[in-house]
Amino acid sequence: MLKKLLIKSIQVREISIVILLIAFFLLVGSINQEFIKIDSITLLVSGSIILLVMAIGQSFVLLTANIDVSVGSIMGISAAVCGSLLVSGLNVWVVVITVMAVGAFIGLINGLGVSYLRIPSIIMTLGMLGIVRGAMLLYTEGMWIEAIPNDYKRLSNTEILFLPLPIWIGFVVMIIAYLFLTKTKKGRYFYAVGDNEEGARLVGIPVRLIKVLAFIISGMSASIAGLVFVMNIGFVPNTTGSGIELEVIAAAVLGGVSLSGGLGTVVGAGLGAVFFTVINQSLVYMKIPAYWNSAISGFLLLMIVIGDTKFQSYLKRKSRHHVKEKSNDGGEEVRASDSKNKAIP
Amino acid sequence: MSNYLVEIAGLYKRFNDNEVLRGIDFSLKKGETFAIVGGNGAGKSTMMKIITGLYQADRGTMKIKGQALHFHHPQEAHRHGIYLVPQEPLIFPNMSVEENITIGMKGKRAELRKKVNKIIDYLGWNLGLFRSAMTLSIAEQQLVEIVRGLVREADILILDEPTSTLTFNEIESLFTAIKRLNKDGVGVIYITHRFAEIFQLADSVAVLKDGVVSLKGPVEEFDYDRLLDGLVDKQSKGERRNMVNLQSNIERVKDKRNPILVVDQLTGHGFEEISFSISPGEVLGIAGVVGAGRTELAESIIGINGAASGEIELDGTGISRLSIRQRINLGMSYVPEDRHQHGIFKIASIQQNTTSAILHRLKGFFLQKRREIEITDEYVDQLKIKVTNTNQLLSELSGGNQQKVVLGKYLATKPKLLILDEPTRGIDAHARSDIYDMISQLQANGLAVLLISSDLEEIVKLSGRVLVMHEGKMIEEINREYISVDRITSAAFGVVKKCVIKQSINEI
Amino acid sequence: MIRKIRPFLKWELFLICFFIAEIVIFSMITPGFLDFNNLIFSLNDFVYIGLAAIPMTFVIITGGIDVSVGSVMGLSSITVGVLWMNGLNVWIAMLIALIICIIAGLFNGLLVAYTEVQPMVITLGTMFLFSGIALVISGGSSATGYEGISGFPASFVQLANGELLGLPNSFWLLVTAVTFFSLLLHLTKYGRQVYLVGMNIKSARYSGISTKWILISTYMLAGFGGGISGIILTSYFSSARSDLGSTAILPVITAVVLGGTSILGGRGTIIGTAVASVIVGIMNYGLQMSGLTSEQTTLIVGIMLVLAVFMRQSNWQFIKKTRKLASLGKAKTDA
Repeated sequence: MLKKLLIKSIQVREISIVILLIAFFLLVGSINQEFIKIDSITLLVSGSIILLVMAIGQSFVLLTANIDVSVGSIMGISAAVCGSLLVSGLNVWVVVITVMAVGAFIGLINGLGVSYLRIPSIIMTLGMLGIVRGAMLLYTEGMWIEAIPNDYKRLSNTEILFLPLPIWIGFVVMIIAYLFLTKTKKGRYFYAVGDNEEGARLVGIPVRLIKVLAFIISGMSASIAGLVFVMNIGFVPNTTGSGIELEVIAAAVLGGVSLSGGLGTVVGAGLGAVFFTVINQSLVYMKIPAYWNSAISGFLLLMIVIGDTKFQSYLKRKSRHHVKEKSNDGGEEVRASDSKNKAIP
Repeated sequence: MSNYLVEIAGLYKRFNDNEVLRGIDFSLKKGETFAIVGGNGAGKSTMMKIITGLYQADRGTMKIKGQALHFHHPQEAHRHGIYLVPQEPLIFPNMSVEENITIGMKGKRAELRKKVNKIIDYLGWNLGLFRSAMTLSIAEQQLVEIVRGLVREADILILDEPTSTLTFNEIESLFTAIKRLNKDGVGVIYITHRFAEIFQLADSVAVLKDGVVSLKGPVEEFDYDRLLDGLVDKQSKGERRNMVNLQSNIERVKDKRNPILVVDQLTGHGFEEISFSISPGEVLGIAGVVGAGRTELAESIIGINGAASGEIELDGTGISRLSIRQRINLGMSYVPEDRHQHGIFKIASIQQNTTSAILHRLKGFFLQKRREIEITDEYVDQLKIKVTNTNQLLSELSGGNQQKVVLGKYLATKPKLLILDEPTRGIDAHARSDIYDMISQLQANGLAVLLISSDLEEIVKLSGRVLVMHEGKMIEEINREYISVDRITSAAFGVVKKCVIKQSINEI
Repeated sequence: MIRKIRPFLKWELFLICFFIAEIVIFSMITPGFLDFNNLIFSLNDFVYIGLAAIPMTFVIITGGIDVSVGSVMGLSSITVGVLWMNGLNVWIAMLIALIICIIAGLFNGLLVAYTEVQPMVITLGTMFLFSGIALVISGGSSATGYEGISGFPASFVQLANGELLGLPNSFWLLVTAVTFFSLLLHLTKYGRQVYLVGMNIKSARYSGISTKWILISTYMLAGFGGGISGIILTSYFSSARSDLGSTAILPVITAVVLGGTSILGGRGTIIGTAVASVIVGIMNYGLQMSGLTSEQTTLIVGIMLVLAVFMRQSNWQFIKKTRKLASLGKAKTDA
């Protein structure tokens, strides 16, 4: 029974990530009590929101068995647009809507290229990465955007029910994405497309539309991340978001989203992002030099992903044995119920 | 309302310069099972794809329930009650069985579930709705597909060779279901390669050849020979008769005392304690239902999957610990069951395919193109592979010719023992008889052939001795004089057979 | 023969035509452009992309990908730097760095071959791991993390900046790499096996090809390429830094893909990759010569990539479609 529970909890990635997170917090906390104070935890989570939102958006694309490496540059251009519009004094809501539209538009182009022109997603979004990065530099003329209105910057510290606004943004995004994916019919389509594209087409799922939607959602999530970035940092360097795309994918994978599609949850992806950030930020508390960051997160990523794959294939092998035995007498059951039915007429 | 579910007249379809359908006329009545047979390239698949809206016809009319229609999309066909169950079921492995069935449908979850349960009860199948689809066997996947069609209220069901992967029990259960559906007015188009099934199941039959219906009528008007007549050209019919000569070869089993392969108490995933030996010049058949562990056994002998215990000796050498390449080098080759997955390199040339298993044997670090050409030409000639040139990509060849290339690739390794796993599955009569000829030729040259096949007639025709597997165990060895389809079947199904007989009596 | 290589030939021809057109157009826009010396010496700026992309072609042909190659460049650079700083001969340091990079590739390859995790995920992990190790090496040695180690002997700096027979060393390096790897890929049994593994790894295994070794070795080649590339960068800037090459991964993959290698495996040529990397490099150079800012250049190169890849893609689709349709009637029933 205990073993079953253990297997179950390792099987559900969300739970195993949470367990790992808690274990990690306890470990670091035992070295430095500062780490497990509410304030520092809030700070950590708050700092992971950019990655979290993008990882959730990326999950939609990954679920359909595609990949979006253009999110870093979308986040960059979103931050730039947000910054410059704010500087020019526009209303915050207008800015938010415009920025989201930028992300949605770029996502739309990605989606159209992948689903209608059938360009492999990694190539399409790789190209888009260059285009958007160039467009951003053109737009900002390579300059940093500073002098963001203080009202906007203050938002990142605004607390609602004891939690800062960014955490609420991340929370709301996750809840909406979660409900959309699990509770609506459309949501399940994303899984179906990644699971078996041909099958999805045959049962009447609008495969192309779903893919386009996935890229739009991913683009919009990068835009939200850009908005949060400006809020948190208060200025926009011309390199904003560069290189983050691979971190986003790593976070989603860490949270159990499969690159081959059809498997994973946004909660997992979000937790993956938090975990990824926590690893990076915790070294300071353990008095380990910061340059160990990448090495440790790379190592952990490999360990977790490989360990998980090994574990899953072990489970599959086990269940196949089980099913085999079962299906042997299962054949008999078919027989039995056949004759039972026959007796009725 | 018209009594016809489907009426097709003068259907034409061409792909580039390849005319696949050349005037198909066909109609399906309510409550009828219509069997369609035809060789590869006869146009069966294309015809079905037009009916289900995957392709559009160039010319011709199609009426569904009296209404002239043509579909642009499979969903339109679904809406008119047409559902195709493909040969390889399209399953979403990461979803539950229920989701697999209802995905893409409108309506509330609870109502859909009720409907699904009703249909499953009606068919008398046992499918756990909450199981992960990943754990389904291929047969169960097929059942899921059928339920998927019926939940969508399909009254025209197209089954594309549904039994090729099913076990005996499952076939019986499927046929019962089809007959019950027929009784309720559902029309079934049944594509198959197996003649026996036609007589067992169908009301009418049509033979497709070269894009036209060459023969058509109620099944009572047909027998084995007449079906063959519709299917095969005169030339290959001659070869069919030649088959009888094969049997004389079979008697010529050479030296029994010096076996080429000895398998002793081999146990592994899917099979247990298998022991047998095979001598040069012998064709040893391995029969059994799908899932009996035959392929697993063969893959373990060639070294693709390890064995848990037991010994394998090839020509006196223990090979249990050797790699696949080393086993091939010692004179053993395995022609895999699944050609597409394990046999061919689709986007490589015939030549690259042919030399792929002996690359490492060619001398030197660099490729020897001339040697490759020689080898390829040799096997293209020997196996009568129809090619325009040997640089053609494999994907341009028909299934039968692809299979011959795979055979050529493994013959090029100069094996002393050849393991053939379903060598003629899904290929046309012509290529089939070529392959039979080849087997007898190899045998005459002193090769040992281990023949795994689900086609019992093939086993009976070719083998000098037959081993029958059942649920991973070797349950019977039948010598030449006792080999018959009956005997093999009863061994393969063991106790089950008796109960089936009883049941079919009940049915009558 | 023509029939077989037609689709490949077409793309390489197209690339070469594109290259010529590129040069002609630029020379019309900017009069000073068509200076042979300037042109050929501009190779120094971007040869490192080609040097990493050429071996990477092997990995992509097997159907894999190696996104850690940028980190390997940094690893190679900082290893040379730190070893040299600690008094080792710079050439021996270089050799050791190369061996370390090959070992890094071996590590990638082992993980890819022996776990069922996708290459993208594995190399994503090792990307962080290797760049982290590079950082640790640089941070752990007294060299201040990001500033790098400089002051290399002139002979080492000449490696990337010098010339031979009137042509820059980078040109000779590229030619050597193209020749060596073309021979390896197109004319050896090893190269054939790389293609076969990429087309259908299961069939390859059933044919007795040691698929695991083929996979592992291609990642070792990619690691080797990253190593060379890192050394050339170090020599070019005359400074060893752990983050050299941190932005190189995307251009490298761009060069391979633009060069006609299929991301799905089984197709691709070395010469295509080489020409594509030169095209992108010259494009950058030419656009900047003609007075565009580097920002505008990025944008145009990005658009060009998508368009070119789209053309390439539609070309594929067309060829695939005709083939598929032609064989459909025959091949479908035996699935």
